[in-house]
Amino acid sequence: MFRVARQLFRFRGLLGTLTARELKARYRGSVLGFLWSLANPLLLLAVYSFVFGVLFRPARSQGIGDGPYALFIVSGLFPWVWLSTSALEGSMSLIANSGLIRKAVFPAELLPMVVVLSNLVHLLLAMPVVLSAVLATSLLTHTVGGPAVVMLPLVLLLHLPMIAGLALGASALTVHFKDVRDLLANLFTLLFFLTPILYSLDFFSGGQSRMMQLMGWVVRLNPFTPFTRAYQDVLFFGRAPEGLLWAQMALVSLVFWSVGAWIFDRLRETLVEAA
Amino acid sequence: MTDPAPETRPDDAIRVEGLEKLYRRTLPGDRLRTLKSVLVEGSLTGNLRREDAIEALTGIDFTVARGEAFGVIGGNGSGKSTLLKLIAGMLKPTAGRITVSGRVAAMIELGAGFHPEISGRENVFINGAVLGLSKREIGRRYDEIVEFSGLGNFMEEPVKNYSSGMYVRLGFAVAIHTDPDVLLVDEVLAVGDEAFAHRCIRRIEEFLAAGRTLLLVSHSLDLVSGLCDRVLWLENGKQRLIESPRRAIDAYRQEVAEKEAEEHQAAKDQRGDTTAPVAMSATSATSATADRWGSREAEITAVRLRNAAGAEHYHLQSGEDATFEIEVKTAAALTDFVFGIAIATPRGIEVWGTNTDLEGYVPASFTGAATVRLTCPALRLAAGEYTVDVAVHARDGAPYDYHRRALSFTVTERLGAGGGVGVYSPERRWGFTGDVRWTDEKA
Repeated sequence: MFRVARQLFRFRGLLGTLTARELKARYRGSVLGFLWSLANPLLLLAVYSFVFGVLFRPARSQGIGDGPYALFIVSGLFPWVWLSTSALEGSMSLIANSGLIRKAVFPAELLPMVVVLSNLVHLLLAMPVVLSAVLATSLLTHTVGGPAVVMLPLVLLLHLPMIAGLALGASALTVHFKDVRDLLANLFTLLFFLTPILYSLDFFSGGQSRMMQLMGWVVRLNPFTPFTRAYQDVLFFGRAPEGLLWAQMALVSLVFWSVGAWIFDRLRETLVEAA
Repeated sequence: MTDPAPETRPDDAIRVEGLEKLYRRTLPGDRLRTLKSVLVEGSLTGNLRREDAIEALTGIDFTVARGEAFGVIGGNGSGKSTLLKLIAGMLKPTAGRITVSGRVAAMIELGAGFHPEISGRENVFINGAVLGLSKREIGRRYDEIVEFSGLGNFMEEPVKNYSSGMYVRLGFAVAIHTDPDVLLVDEVLAVGDEAFAHRCIRRIEEFLAAGRTLLLVSHSLDLVSGLCDRVLWLENGKQRLIESPRRAIDAYRQEVAEKEAEEHQAAKDQRGDTTAPVAMSATSATSATADRWGSREAEITAVRLRNAAGAEHYHLQSGEDATFEIEVKTAAALTDFVFGIAIATPRGIEVWGTNTDLEGYVPASFTGAATVRLTCPALRLAAGEYTVDVAVHARDGAPYDYHRRALSFTVTERLGAGGGVGVYSPERRWGFTGDVRWTDEKA
C-alpha cells in the first residue's frame, strides 16, 4: 500500500496532466464546456428546491432545522455523487484503458486516481453554487451556514483517501470480475438510502419500533455516514463537526485506503495480463 | 528491473538469468481460485500445477552489452513479446532475474497512450510524461518531435482525426525522443509508410551509433539482420540459439522451410498419393477455377518435385538438382500438344518459364498416360518461396489443362554460403586487388 502511494507521488505531475486531460476531453465538443460543471449542480439544486420547496413540503423532520430542505439534501448529495461516481467509474478505469496497461509501460494506479480527482474537481466546481445558496439563505433567514465552513477542505482531505482506496480496490478487482461493477452499482443504490442524505440521523432517535431502532444502527455503522454528517455540519449547519466524527472519518479513511491499496498492489502484476 | 544488481557488469545493458514465465490458464470457474492465490499468497502462479500453466518462457539466459543491437526472432507464440514485456518491467518473472541498467523505453504499440479527443500537441506531452519525461524536457524536445513526425500542420487537431499512419508516426517520434538508454521495440517498424519506416530505421541507427542499446523483436528477418549484432531465436518459449544474425536467420529459415515441406508431405499423404501437393479438382471438362482452366482434352493428373536423389521433396538447397514431374493423360490421341512449366514467386513475379514448343520439340502424337520430366541440374534460385505453374496446351495456346500454382516449394541457401536478394543466386566468388582488408571474423 505504500508502493501505491509512492507511485502516485512519483507520477504526480502526470496525474495532474491526465486529470486535466480527462476534464478537457469531457467537455470537448460541447458548447457550454466547463460551464456545465456549474450548471449541473445549479440545475439540480433548482429541481430539488422546486420539488421540496414548492411541490410538496415535507414535515419539518427531526434534526434538519429551519433551513431549506433542498439545501440540506445537496450538502450531503454532492459529496455522495463524488463518492459513488468515483467508485463506479473508477472500477472500470483499468478495463477502459486496457490498451495503455497492456501495450505501454504505465503506472496503472494513476487511472482510478484520475477518475477520483476529476470527480473531485466537479465537486469543487459545485461548491460555489452550494456556498452562494447557503450565503444567500443565511443573509435572508439566518437559519443556515456559519464560519465552520472553513473546515470544508479538511473534510474533503479526509474523505479523499477513502474514495481513492475504494476506487483502487474496485478497479483491480473488476479486471478479474466484471461483476464488481454491477455489485457496486446496486450496493450504492442501497447505501444511498442507508446514508443520512435525505434525512438526518436524529430521525432515528426517540422511542420507535424495534425495526426503526435497528435501521438507526445500520445507518450509524455505515462507513459513509460520518462524512455525510461532517459535510452537512460544515456546509448546512455551519458548525464544527464534533471530535468523535473526526476520529470516525480518519479511521474509516485509513481502513479504506489501506485495504484498497493493498488489494491493488497484490493484483498489480495480474493487471497487464488480464486487463 | 528496478532491483539493484551489484554484480551486473557496467557494460551489460540487459541481463537475463534463468528466466521463466508461466501464465495461468484461464479456465472457466477458475477465477476465484486465481484471485485467492494472488491475494493470499501474493503470487499468480504460486500454487499452480504444471498442467494449469502455460509456459510462456523457460530457461532464458542472455546478456546484451551496452551499445549492442540484439534481435529476437521466432514464430508466433514463441514468447517474443512476453520477453519484451518482462524486460520492460510490465510483467513479473515467475522465476529468474532481469536487470536492466539505464532509462528504458518500450515501443510495444505506438500511440497506445494517446487520448482520441485531445490534440496531438497535448498528447505529445502526456505520452512523454508516461514515458518518464518532465514537462520541461518535453517542451525542449517538442519541435524536434513534431519535425520528426512530419505532422506540423496537424498538431492542434484531435488525434481521433489522425490516420493510423499518423498515429504511429507521432508515437514513434515521442518514444525515440525520450532519449532512452535501452530501447525495446516490438514489431512497430512495420507500420507507417516506407519513407517513414526508413526514417525510423535511420534514427535507430543513429541511436545505436551513440552507444545506446536496442532490443528488437520482429518477424522482418531482413530488418533484424540489417540492424542487429546478435540474434536470439525463441521457439515455444525456449532459447533455441543465440548467434550472429546471418547464422541465426539462416538456421531459422531453413527450419521453417523444412517444416513447411513436412506439412506439404503430410497433407499429401492424407489425401492419398495420386494427387499433386495442391489439390486438383475432379475430372470434368467444364470445370474451371481461377487457378485451373482448359478443355481437358489432355489432363494433368499429378505434379511433383523431386530432388537429386529422386525423392519427392518440396524443399531444396540452392544449387541442388531439381526435377519437375508432370503426369498427363489423354482420352483421345493428340497430335497438337505442348507441355509447359513456369516458376514464379508467391507475389506473381515470373522467375522463369519454358515449354516444349519454345525448346524446339515438334509434336507428333500423344496417347494414353505419360510422365513429363524437366530436370534442372544445379537450380540456382535464391532463398525464398516459389510456385510452379504447369500446362498442357495446343501450339496456338488453346489450353487443354492449365494449372496455376500446381505446387510450391522453398529454397534455402546453405549455411554460411551467403545470401543476397532477388530470385537468382549464381555461383560466385569475390576477388579483391589493391589495399582492401577484412577482419578474420566471419559475420
